[in-house]
Parts: sequence; C-alpha cells; structure tokens
Amino acid sequence: MFSSDYDPENITRILFRDFPTWMLIVFYIVAVIAIGVFLYGVWAQIRKYRRGVRSGAWTPFWPRFRNMVGTVLSHRTVKRRARMAGSMHAWIFYGFTLLFIGTSLITLDQDITGPLGFHFWYGWFYLVFGIVMDVAGVALIVGLLYMMYRRKWLALPKLDYTRPDREPGDPDYDRSGYRREDWAFLWTLIIIAITGFLLEASRVVWLQNEAIVWDVRWHAPVGTAIAYVMMGLGLGPEGGGDLRMGLWWFHGILALTFIALVPYTKVMHIFTTLGSLMARDPEGKRRMPSVDVDAEHIGVSHFSDFTDKYLLQFDACTKCGKCHEACPARAGDYPLSPRDLVLTLRELANDTQWKSAPPAEPVRVIGEGVNMVRPETLWSCRTCAACIEICPVGIEHLPMIVEMRRALVEEGEFDPMLQPTLRSLQKSGNSLGESKRKRPRWTRKLDFEIKDARKEPVDVLWYVGDYASFDPRSQKVTIAFARILNAAGVSFGILYEDEQTAGNDVRRVGEEGLFQALAEANIELLDSCEFKTIVTTDPHTYNTIKNEYPEFGGNYTIEHASMMLERLIREGKIPTPVELDYRVTFHDPCHLGRINGDVEPPRQVMGQLGLDLVELPRNRDNSFCCGAGGGRIWLGDPPDTKKPAELRAAEAAGIGGLDVLVVNCPKCLNMMEDGVKGTGNEDNFRVMELIELVEEAMGLSDDPAPDEDDETASETAASA
Amino acid sequence: MKILVTVKQVAALDDEFEMRDDGRDVDEDFFEEDLNEFDHYSVEEALLIKEAAGDDAEVVIVTVGDEDTDDALRTALAKGADRGIRVWDDSLADADGVAIARVLAKVVEREQPDMVFTGAQSSDFGSAVTGMALAGLMGWPHAAVVCALEYSPGDNTATLRRELEGGLEEIMTIRCPAVLSIQLGINEPRYASLRGIKQAKQKPVDELTLDDLGLSADSIAPASRVRRMYAPEKGQAELITGSAAEQASRLAEIIKELRGM
Ligand SMILES: Cc1cc2nc3c(=O)[nH]c(=O)nc-3n(C[C@H](O)[C@H](O)[C@H](O)COP(=O)(O)OP(=O)(O)OC[C@H]3O[C@@H](n4cnc5c(N)ncnc54)[C@H](O)[C@@H]3O)c2cc1C
Ligand code: SF4
Ligand code: SF4
Repeated sequence: MFSSDYDPENITRILFRDFPTWMLIVFYIVAVIAIGVFLYGVWAQIRKYRRGVRSGAWTPFWPRFRNMVGTVLSHRTVKRRARMAGSMHAWIFYGFTLLFIGTSLITLDQDITGPLGFHFWYGWFYLVFGIVMDVAGVALIVGLLYMMYRRKWLALPKLDYTRPDREPGDPDYDRSGYRREDWAFLWTLIIIAITGFLLEASRVVWLQNEAIVWDVRWHAPVGTAIAYVMMGLGLGPEGGGDLRMGLWWFHGILALTFIALVPYTKVMHIFTTLGSLMARDPEGKRRMPSVDVDAEHIGVSHFSDFTDKYLLQFDACTKCGKCHEACPARAGDYPLSPRDLVLTLRELANDTQWKSAPPAEPVRVIGEGVNMVRPETLWSCRTCAACIEICPVGIEHLPMIVEMRRALVEEGEFDPMLQPTLRSLQKSGNSLGESKRKRPRWTRKLDFEIKDARKEPVDVLWYVGDYASFDPRSQKVTIAFARILNAAGVSFGILYEDEQTAGNDVRRVGEEGLFQALAEANIELLDSCEFKTIVTTDPHTYNTIKNEYPEFGGNYTIEHASMMLERLIREGKIPTPVELDYRVTFHDPCHLGRINGDVEPPRQVMGQLGLDLVELPRNRDNSFCCGAGGGRIWLGDPPDTKKPAELRAAEAAGIGGLDVLVVNCPKCLNMMEDGVKGTGNEDNFRVMELIELVEEAMGLSDDPAPDEDDETASETAASA
Repeated sequence: MKILVTVKQVAALDDEFEMRDDGRDVDEDFFEEDLNEFDHYSVEEALLIKEAAGDDAEVVIVTVGDEDTDDALRTALAKGADRGIRVWDDSLADADGVAIARVLAKVVEREQPDMVFTGAQSSDFGSAVTGMALAGLMGWPHAAVVCALEYSPGDNTATLRRELEGGLEEIMTIRCPAVLSIQLGINEPRYASLRGIKQAKQKPVDELTLDDLGLSADSIAPASRVRRMYAPEKGQAELITGSAAEQASRLAEIIKELRGM
C-alpha cells in the first residue's frame, strides 16, 4: 500500500528512465518496423481471402459477433472432448489477452493520450494493473508449460501430423515444419513471459532504495519474490539496473518480433479463428451449400471458386487434430484427414495466392500435384460430419469436400463404381439399379394393404427410402415397421412406385443437378398428397427432407421412426408384452444423432422395452460412423484399408456379455452386419434394428397371421 | 476434322414384364430407356481423341430414333460432344440394323466425317450388325469389336487392336476414313451429370427426316422382321454330387419324378 505521502501521479513506472536519446530513437524505429511488418502481413492475408467468391458469411454482423465472443470467452469448443488442454488453453488465452491489453494501455498512455496531456497509468490504477499483469503472466506460463508437457510427454498421435493422404517420399509428405513451428511458438511465448517477470524483478532490485517504488513492491508480487532471490544471490541496485537494461531490450525486441510475425505464422490463429467462428454456418453439417444449377459452372475445382469464408478457414485451422481423431476415413487408413485437407489447401494458397497480383491462370486445387487435393481423398469422405461437429474454430470441412466433389462430378471423372449408381438414380430414382416398378414390391409380403398416399388422405406419410425398399435385409425391418404401424392403428400410406430417393447421398456425392431434380420431383409429389406428418426409418431421408427440402419449397413435419415409436409406446398404442432380456448397446446413426441431435428417442425406446443398455465408448454426438454415408456404401473399399464398420464392431465387442448391437438406420444395418462378420463377432452378438426389437417385444415377430389383433399378439408372446 | 459417333437408345428390361399385344416386343411400360452401354465407350473414345488434339476436332453424335431418344443424344452431348443429329420417321419403327445402317450411310455422306465409331453391339438386341452394315454400304474400311485404338485427327491411318477367339489378339492398321465398332473396356467413360444433360439442350441438334436425307420409306425396308418374342419356359438344372452310388440313386429319383412314377 502506498501512504498519502506520495503524489499518486508519481506512483508509476518510469518507462524509459536512463535511456539515452539514441536508444529511444532506435526503439521507436524497431517498433514502427515491427508494426509495419505486422500490418503488411494482415493486409496481404486479407487480400488473399478477398480473392475468393464473396460469401456474405459475416452478415448479420452483430449476432454473429456476439456468438463468436461467447464461444471464445467460454472456450466451450476448445474444452470439448479435451477438458484439460482446453482449460490450459483458456489460461494461455486469458493470460495473453490481459498482458496484451496491459501493454497496449501503456502504449496508449505513453504515446497517445500522454502527449495530449492525459495520463492514467499511475496511482491505484497502476497498482491494480501490476497485480493483474502478474496473475496473467503466471496463467500464461502455467498454460504454456502444460502445452509443452502435452506435446513432449503425452505424445498424442493427433499432434504428430503424419498425413494419411501422402506416401513417405512425396515432396509434400513431411510436415515436421509444423512441429518445429509449434515448439518455436511455445518457447518464444514462454521466454517473453519469463523475461517479463525477470525484468520486473530487476527493476525492484535496481530501484530498491526509492521508497516510492519499494513501498508498493508487492503490487508486483511475482517480480518482487524473484527480486528477493536476486538480492539473496548478491545482486545490488547497480547490477539490477544493468540487468534491467539488458532484459528490457531482450524482452522488447522479442515481443516486437512476435507481433511482427503474427500474420505469417501459426500465431495468426488468434485472428483467423475469430473470423472463422463468426462466419460459421450453424446448419453446415445438415445442409450442403445451395447452388444455382443453371450456372455456367458449379463446384470447386480452382482456388477462385472457393468463397472468402473457406479461404479464411484454411488459415484458421489450429492443427489441434480433433477432426483428425474423429474422422472414420482417417481411422480406417483411407487417404483422408479433414485436418490435412485444410492444411493442404492452406499450403497451396500460400504457394499460389500470396503474391500481390492474382495468379495469371486459375490455380487448380484437385489433382496429383504438390499440395493438391487428391480425388481419392475427396471420395474417402463419409459425410458423417464428425469433423465439423468437433472443430473448435468452426471450420466446415464437409461442405468443402462436397463442393470439390461437385466439380469432379461435373467433369465426369470419378470412381467407375459410382457411375452405374448415379445412372440408375438418373433413370429410376434409386441407387440400387432397380426399376421404379419394383420399389413397393416388399409390400407383397404383408397380409394387409398399405394405403396409397397418392390416392387417399392419410395421417402419416411414410417415406420409405431406397435401402429400406430394396435391400433384402432392410426389407425385413421395413415389413416390421409396417406391421407395427398397422397394429398401432396408425392411418399411414406410402408413395408406391412414385417414391424416389430423397437425395441425401446424391447431394453429398456431389451430383447437385440430380439432387435438385429429385428434390423438386419429390416435393411436387408430396405436395399433391394429403397427410399430416411424414415418417421415415432412414436418417438420411429424415435429414434431407427436414433440413434441405425447405430450400426448394418443401416444408413438412417429419419424424424419424424412433420418435414415433417412442410416442406410440408411451401413449400405450403399442403394447410390448414380451420381456426382452438383452444386454444391448446402441450405434447412433450420424444423420440422426450427431447431425440432428436426436440422440434420446432411440434410447427412450430401449428404456421402454426394458433393455439393459450399455453405451459404446463413442456415443451420441461423438458416435463413430458405420462408413456408409456420402455415397461410400456404393463404393468398394481398397484392400489396404480398414472398414469403419469393423472398427465400430470391434468397439462394441469390447463391451462384455453383449447380446445385441442395436442400429437405427437401414444403411447402418447393412454395414454393421458386415462389420460384425468381418471381425468374427457373429457368434458373440447380433445386429438388430431398433424396430425389430419393438416388433419382438410386441410379439409380432414370427407370426404374420392375418387379422392379427392385440390378443393374438400377446398369445404369440406368451407361447414364445 | 470430324468424328461421327452413332448412338442408340436401348431398353433395359424390368425383371417382371409383359409382352405387347401383338406379341412381337415387350410392352414399353416395362422397360426403362438408356444410352446403349457400348456407346458410352465409343463416345468416350471420340472425346479422348478430340481432347488429345487440343479440341481440334468436332465430335458429332447421330441417333436414329423418335423424340424420346433425345435423352440418349443429350447424354452423349453432355459428355462433351459438339453437336447432334437425330433422324426419325414413323416408318423406322420396325427397322433392323441394316435399315438403320442405310439411314446412317446417308448421314455419313452428308457429314463427310474422317472417322465413324459405332458401339460393337447394342445391349438390348445385340445383333452387332449396324456398324458393319454401315461400312459395307459406304464401302469404307472397317474393324469390329475394337478394344484399343491409336489415332489422331488428320492421320491417314489408325492402328487398332481386336480380341479374337481363343484368347488371340490382332493389331491392325486401317485406312481412314473408316468405321470402327467399339468394344466395352476400351477406356473409362466419363459420367454425364444431370445438370450437364440439361445444359446440353443448348447444344445444336439437327432433326432430320428421311426426306432431308433423300430417302423414302421403301428404300429403308428392314432386311428382317421379328415374328414373335417370348420368354422360353425355364429349364431346370441340378448339380448332382456325392459318391457314384449316391449320384446314381439321385439320378434315378429324378427320372422317376419326371416320368411321374
Ligand atoms: C453374346 C454374343 C455373342 C456373339 N458371338 C458372335 C460370334 O461368335 N460370331 C459372330 O459373327 N457374331 C457374334 N455375335 C454377333 C455379332 O457380335 C454382331 O452380329 C455384330 O457385331 C453386328 O452388330 P449388332 O447388330 O449387334 O449391332 P447393333 O446392335 O445393330 O448395333 C450396335 C451399334 O450400332 C449403332 N446403332 C444401332 N442402332 C442405332 C440407331 N437407331 N441409331 C444410331 N446408331 C445405332 C450404335 O452405334 C450401336 O452401338 C455375338 C453377339 C452376342 C450378343
Ligand atoms: S465428414 Fe466424416 S468422413 Fe468426412 S472428413 Fe469429416 S469426419 Fe471424415
Ligand atoms: S480443422 Fe478444426 S478440428 Fe481439425 S485440426 Fe484444424 S482446428 Fe482442429
């Protein structure tokens, strides 16, 4: 505390005391150069982003700004699935921000308001400031030390930057430069922080005989503690003065260099991530970017096709590896990691877009060249959205991938296995190469008629979907669902031959023209029918009708089967007399759980059926894709890869005493059955659709007797 | 420099179908139309030659068919061909490969291409006649079922490879202009996106009648006529396995069964 003996105006730090004029001049020259280099870098980066197509992604500005500030201050996205690292990052963030604000205040006082005759950096303000700066410095150092420990001793595989999309020996394989940059960043920052404290300490030693300084020394508690150590080691005021001068220059030059390098190094993430978070499309995982299919050219094949938002996002990636860790393609050794995709594009942008004049020829981004995105990388994606979901800085890898696929589809050059599928979709609206006429053929196995929603009004229009209509294994589930709805007395109908695929996978594979044609035809058909709600067993269909059809004028209330079943059971419309004594686990479908957040309905149904549910290690929003999405179900798996479904089956096998792996999607059913067989688990547990479990609990399973009513259902159950 | 590619819209049969009332074809409600599988390859081959020559060649697509066959034409145009020609007259409804070839011959005379590609055969009727008949009518050199080709626009000859019976292959040089019928697998055809097919509507398509080509309905009389089309009764087959004695007793059983004993 300072007594009233002192004029508070004198309680401040004499910044440049003992500095000869030439030193001051040199300092200001260095500072101006550093700021100039910084500003040039910022401008050059912005110039790079502005070469993209205008996205308008930052409007409306203020709500987006508020949202971004909330995310940054809470560090919500950074802490997700990485509590410790996230908290430590928050310490670094707050420490650094406070120190930065502190230094800026000094500059403000010294160089801007001061010369105008207004000083504020003295007295009480100065003393509180001192304590806050010390706390911030400690937080920064602790955070940085943890990060050093994390990199060195935790040795997380996601931080070693080994890329799956290149072979050792390729000119762009080596990413050790990133690792060196990480270390340089940590060391620079920690040295700046430590020399800051030493500088503080040396000043206390140097000015120990000035009461006005000494009396308030504990307002710089860390510095003062260090000062006692220095004095204990025999440092006197004179030595302290010399040390202060040396450290002052060292600390100052290092800090200025750091500032100058911000826009050229990973440090830029402190700005780019803010821009990326603001531009983030909250629907990005549900709805692929809309596009005018009559435009001369669609999709992204060259840099000039990217929007400014994506160009900024390439620079926003912090290489944290969360997406790399979550990606099922990467986990299966496919040549894709969402992080490496973003970094590849960043590097290619820096190679080609940095110069003051835009490149004379458009720069192609897809191809076999250095830092180009390989087509097989793009085709490896499952469009499971695990990457977007977890990216702390709002990067939208999935839409980028779909945009690049669109260009490949327009060029007509891609995996030959995909062609028959797309041609079948063009011709007959399904992906299985079947005729339209065959679509409702599964209904022949029923002992009742399903209403034709094209011809009569129904309460519930059931959008069956491709796999559910044609795939023999899924047909069993489809039939089960029909029986359940029938037994529950629901007034429901289907579109028979006229139903076509809703188009979720068509859009994600990049065939946008076909997707829009399908969407328009389906909407026209739906609008000509009379119904209250839509239901589907297929999460892909659910997602697209719910989130993508509104763009084309199709606004419907749609439920996934799990929600409808939960309600019907709760309302007592579905009696479940058969007790199911199974230990089960649940594989969340990406398009239901992570993408639409509907994680509870299937679990509620399992609860209603009295099943013993043990969660998989990765569940809900962190569920691991079965590998079917984004058209991958139509493509073969190269021999040197691991199928995501097998990785998932192995995960389920880790749960002891499991009876059933429950899935809730026709494609998951198909993939997971293969996965269970492929891992040799078919004798250990079964794969069942949730709907099949409901059917079994109702006692409907093996007795398709005509005119079955509740009584016969429970009789069957009793005898079962 | 011009390459002419003839393409056909074929019918893909549903697994359950009914015959037309006259019993000479399948009821058209029961098939879906598509570009002949082979023609994807012949179009691709022409486009590859064009692209290798820095687009210094025109690829013209010809089809003989009614309005519905525009889809096939558009698919080929969407892939990158420059323009199309569609010839139709109701008298062509029963045309066979030779009749089609007569029409195509007139188109070839009109267009004077440096090279003509056809598919080796059509995936619905599979008679593999049209291309070779066309060559015959024109009196041009020809090669059927070509599975590799080296040719650049302006060359006087082309070098090609054909697969023969018994696993043999032959390499031959052919004088141009020539008619080549293209085999599956000669290349990897590109995909025509639906957007591309729609946009191909802007590409020029000449719609010609027999008159325009100086033909009369009589001059294109088919060389053959389908009398009846039907699904033959399904035979049965069973692989008999086991020891000689077991096989013999199973055989005896079958004979008894068939004789109704
Ligand atoms: C399984 C099989 C085995 C065979 N084995 C032999 C054999 O061993 N020996 C033998 O001599 N023959 C054999 N053939 C038949 C032989 O391959 C064909 O007869 C011959 O190649 C003639 O062609 P095509 O009549 O099938 O062609 P078409 O089906 O008449 O013609 C196909 C091509 O002609 C063009 N074309 C057809 N219609 C039109 C139209 N409307 N407009 C524009 N262009 C059109 C297209 O380019 C099309 O791709 C076999 C055929 C098959 C299916
Ligand atoms: S969507 Fe899924 S598969 Fe595709 S890059 Fe992202 S995490 Fe990987
Ligand atoms: S893209 Fe996002 S999640 Fe992936 S490494 Fe970069 S910052 Fe992390």
